[in-house]
Amino acid sequence: MKVIFSYVKPYKWTAVIALCLMLMELFVELIQPLIMAKIIDDGVRAQNQQMIIQWGAVLLILSFIAFLAGVINSYFSSHTAQSFAFDLRNALFEKIQSFTLANYQKFSTASLITRLTNDVTQVQTVLFMSLRIMLRAPLAVVGSVVMAFVVNAKLALFLVIGAPIIFVFLIFMVAKGVSYFGKVQKRVDRLNRVLQENLQAMRLVKAYLRGKYEASRFEQVASHLKVDTVKALRTMEYIMPVLLFVMNMSLLAVLWFGTKQVATGTAPLGDIVAIVNYAMRITGSFSMFAFIIIFYARAKASAERMTEVLAVDNEVESASSSIVGASSDMKLGELVFHNVSFQYPGTDATVLSNVSFQVKSGEKLAIMGATGAGKSTLLQLIPRFYDVTEGQIYVEGKDVQQWDLQELRDIIGYVPQQSLLFTGSIADNVRWGDTKAEMDEVLNATMQAQIHASVEDFPSGYDTRVGQKGVNLSGGQKQRLSIARALLRKGHILMLDDSTSALDVKTEQALWDALSEESATMLVVTQKIRTAKGADHILLIDEGKVVAYGSHEDLVQTSELYQKIAISQQEVK
Amino acid sequence: MGFFQKPFGYEPILSKEDVKQVVKKKKGPRAADWKSTLWRLWKIVDEQRMLLVIVLLLVMVSSIMALLGPYVIGKIIDLYVMHGELSGLGSKITLLIGIYVLLAISLFLQNYWMIGIAQQTIYRLRTSVFTHFQKLPISFFDRRQHGELMSRMTNDIEAVSSTLNSSFIQVFSSVLTLGGTLIIMLSLSPLLTILTMTIIPIMFWAMRWITRRTAPLFKEQQSAMGALNGMVEETISGQRIVKAFSQEERVKAEFRDKSLRLKRTGFWAQTYSGYIPKVMNFLNNMSFTIVAGIGGVLALYGHVSIGVIVIFTEYARQFTRPLNDLANQFNTVLSAIAGAERVFSLLDEQSEMEMSTAKNHTLVGQVTFKHVFFKYDVAQESYTLKDINFTVEPGQTVALVGATGAGKTTILQLIARFYEVTKGEVLFDGINVQQIERQALRCQMAFVLQDPFLFETTVRENIRYGRLDASDEEVIEAAQLANAHEFIMKLKDGYDTVLKADGREISQGQKQLLSIARALIANPKILLLDEATSSIDTVTELAIQEALDRLMQGRTSFVIAHRLNTVHNADVILVMQKGELVEAGLQQELIESGGIYAQMLSASTYHLEE
Repeated sequence: MKVIFSYVKPYKWTAVIALCLMLMELFVELIQPLIMAKIIDDGVRAQNQQMIIQWGAVLLILSFIAFLAGVINSYFSSHTAQSFAFDLRNALFEKIQSFTLANYQKFSTASLITRLTNDVTQVQTVLFMSLRIMLRAPLAVVGSVVMAFVVNAKLALFLVIGAPIIFVFLIFMVAKGVSYFGKVQKRVDRLNRVLQENLQAMRLVKAYLRGKYEASRFEQVASHLKVDTVKALRTMEYIMPVLLFVMNMSLLAVLWFGTKQVATGTAPLGDIVAIVNYAMRITGSFSMFAFIIIFYARAKASAERMTEVLAVDNEVESASSSIVGASSDMKLGELVFHNVSFQYPGTDATVLSNVSFQVKSGEKLAIMGATGAGKSTLLQLIPRFYDVTEGQIYVEGKDVQQWDLQELRDIIGYVPQQSLLFTGSIADNVRWGDTKAEMDEVLNATMQAQIHASVEDFPSGYDTRVGQKGVNLSGGQKQRLSIARALLRKGHILMLDDSTSALDVKTEQALWDALSEESATMLVVTQKIRTAKGADHILLIDEGKVVAYGSHEDLVQTSELYQKIAISQQEVK
Repeated sequence: MGFFQKPFGYEPILSKEDVKQVVKKKKGPRAADWKSTLWRLWKIVDEQRMLLVIVLLLVMVSSIMALLGPYVIGKIIDLYVMHGELSGLGSKITLLIGIYVLLAISLFLQNYWMIGIAQQTIYRLRTSVFTHFQKLPISFFDRRQHGELMSRMTNDIEAVSSTLNSSFIQVFSSVLTLGGTLIIMLSLSPLLTILTMTIIPIMFWAMRWITRRTAPLFKEQQSAMGALNGMVEETISGQRIVKAFSQEERVKAEFRDKSLRLKRTGFWAQTYSGYIPKVMNFLNNMSFTIVAGIGGVLALYGHVSIGVIVIFTEYARQFTRPLNDLANQFNTVLSAIAGAERVFSLLDEQSEMEMSTAKNHTLVGQVTFKHVFFKYDVAQESYTLKDINFTVEPGQTVALVGATGAGKTTILQLIARFYEVTKGEVLFDGINVQQIERQALRCQMAFVLQDPFLFETTVRENIRYGRLDASDEEVIEAAQLANAHEFIMKLKDGYDTVLKADGREISQGQKQLLSIARALIANPKILLLDEATSSIDTVTELAIQEALDRLMQGRTSFVIAHRLNTVHNADVILVMQKGELVEAGLQQELIESGGIYAQMLSASTYHLEE
């Protein structure tokens, strides 16, 4: 809660002004009865019409002042609350951007989304409400208690006798509420996840006719959410009756003992009437009080969830600033793996073990191996999506751990196995590679990637909107766009992770021909001997170990596995 | 008044014209929209209406008890406290205790049940939207961001939920209290009552002024929230790319933009709706002033007594409090309606059409395309598929080849009836696809998609997805056939390993093996394989080829593959180019004719002897 509310700080003055305005309103309300008394005493009783009109006018003016204060308060409090939410959202999002890929394992996408929207809204609402109305209830209670003590301390004591019980009870309820509402938010995460999964797998669900099955799965999470929400809200419902009960019992005590005191003549009647009045005011504020507790508990649960995100240690992402020793041109794009072993964080299966190889500047390395051999994992270590468990990776003569992350990734053009595109125009998507690229550079990249002609064929050309995750493009088109995106980067190292699998042979050949002009060091994961043949060296890995390294000619002679692969791709006669 | 036009630098969102626009709309269908939205919500409450009536009765009880309490206290003060009288006080206090207990119980129970009713309603609303999703055509999902749709299920429904929880009871009890106090006021002094009532027209006018502004703003706010959600979902799902291209700054800027839009609409919506209690407060004070000032003058001339004025100011306050509550509730109801409208608009989406004449049909396996034209979007200029004609006999294996973007996947999607043809006919066993129930059709098909998708559950359940009643043995058998068994056994928990969303435990190729196993277990009449083996190494591919061949026996199969080796034993090869079917025939025929296919083939194979 503390961490989260530190985001109010920049707006403390507008918050204070909002509070002052609210107090002003409250003040007007409180002095109204006094003026009323004036009208009655000095006006009506004294038969003085002048006085009535005079005080009437004062009342009118005060009403206007209160109104104006209220309206201005509206501006100040919504500005404070909205700015707070805005800053908080941005801080959360920026934090998420600095996550390592391993960090993402801790939160599901759906849960991060909930935290960024739903949870922020919860806290924002509470802030807004407290700046406007919520504080009035506690103030009214405190004010009434103080006034009651001023009137008759002995009797007023009965009003606060229940206070410790109420206090302990409220603390208990808040704790309960926080844990229950925390659970509710977790259920929202679950719901979101099932939903997201379904949206992504819509074709599959339809193809296998699993609509009913999925609906029942969703019903299950929705019903969990329902049950937990009901539980949380119902628990909170105990607050009101308990508060009322304690308070009303105090009131009865006041009446009982008050009457006794009146009988014995120790207390004037007026005192009792006044205290009863205050007691009733306190009860009147209680409905608001219960409301506040519920909101507070909800907000606290949400705040804790957001703090979880903000408190994540960024292992690599923020580490290592650039250490001097710029790479020499000689080593441009050079890459060395030295005894690299790797396990995904939090698992104990070794994905890569003792991998060593070297790619010289401008060389082309083909990486081959069976499904699940560790090819994609190997590539992901280079831009430091994950850090090696053992060994070192040197890029341009410098250990990747020593590189500034931004600079390292700047020199790498990466084409992932699954082409991911974003909502936006085709040109926008290619420009991910280089935001500042001129249009002719974009065209160069798309021509090289053999996608230019297809784009030109679209009615709106480069302005064609790419739908959610590229649904309106064919698999091959997506792959080529994602290659163009990487080419635009003009990096020293180009990594293609089996990213031509959906291309037909002719297009693919044209692509490789175009890429042969590239001066960048190339790492190509491939299944195809034909592609591997064009590489300077081939790295063959199996179950995370290097089993062969050399040119096509070498491997055909020496590697049994390579021969097996080659045979599998021979023309069938 | 520069501040009010651009406070804290917030650009106004609604212009005077916009507000006028709202007014105009409101007179027309908008008002009806509102009512229909509320009416639809009411219909969803459905079987809980009985309980709702009980809740209403309880509200009545608690309202009466709430009024009775102070009355009894007044009596106690008058009759006992004033005279220091203790005898009989006990019984009165017992009565008071009774009233309070009853009040507490009725308050508790009405809320207790109302929470149940509200959440059940929300649950039904959610699940009906989800169930409806299952019926919507694929094209609906193509057009929308996932995150945006998710926002409707959470943020919009949340707005409805919080309203249902509290507002319903509030509104009802406010109305009750309002009526009660009005009666008391009239009995005290009709003249002062009428004076107090003068604020009501002002109130209505003010409320209208405000809601004309807040209604569109709330809608805008919910949609800004949806847009933000959409962006977040996409960015986080594509985080690998963001990182690889170090575009963090770019997405941050984009997020900031969307976040700013939400802030801006939020500011105006909150500010304007914040007027409501302030206006009510003001009117409150005004009525106080009227009673005190004018009442004072009236008292001067003996029209009313001082006592009446004192009591009246109290009642005037009591009169405006429920009005105040109502006004506040009105506000949350507004935002709920904005949310509900967005949710209902999903339910109004046209679901996949089904001809009333459509029948169940057990497929034999013949598939015919007759002059099929297709475009994904009506606005699209050229056709994605142009005049496709072919017939595939039962049990045949068809290979679709051609350049990327030639329309191969589209043909498979039309066979699976994810989309409807624009022109022409797709026939199964000579029956137009529109005459066959979708259910019946799809349950006789299995589809291995280009991007294998796995659910966040165990390996076993992912395979079983193909046929839910498959036994564990059948699952393992299918995995063995698909050559997946070996790697599954190496996973931490074997078949019980839970796969994560990003599936880092297994590689892309392994995902494909699993989705082939899933298709194997489905045991379909028609099999659609779209690049099913593209990420699988060729050695493994050869190994599962046999399994696939066996699978394709006796079934009509459509296969897309770029490695032409995988299609070598197809019965028919369809060669696609730019949406047209340019060649069709047996492999041998096509090679001999020396057409496009022959060229492709010669480019693809690798000869060891080279």
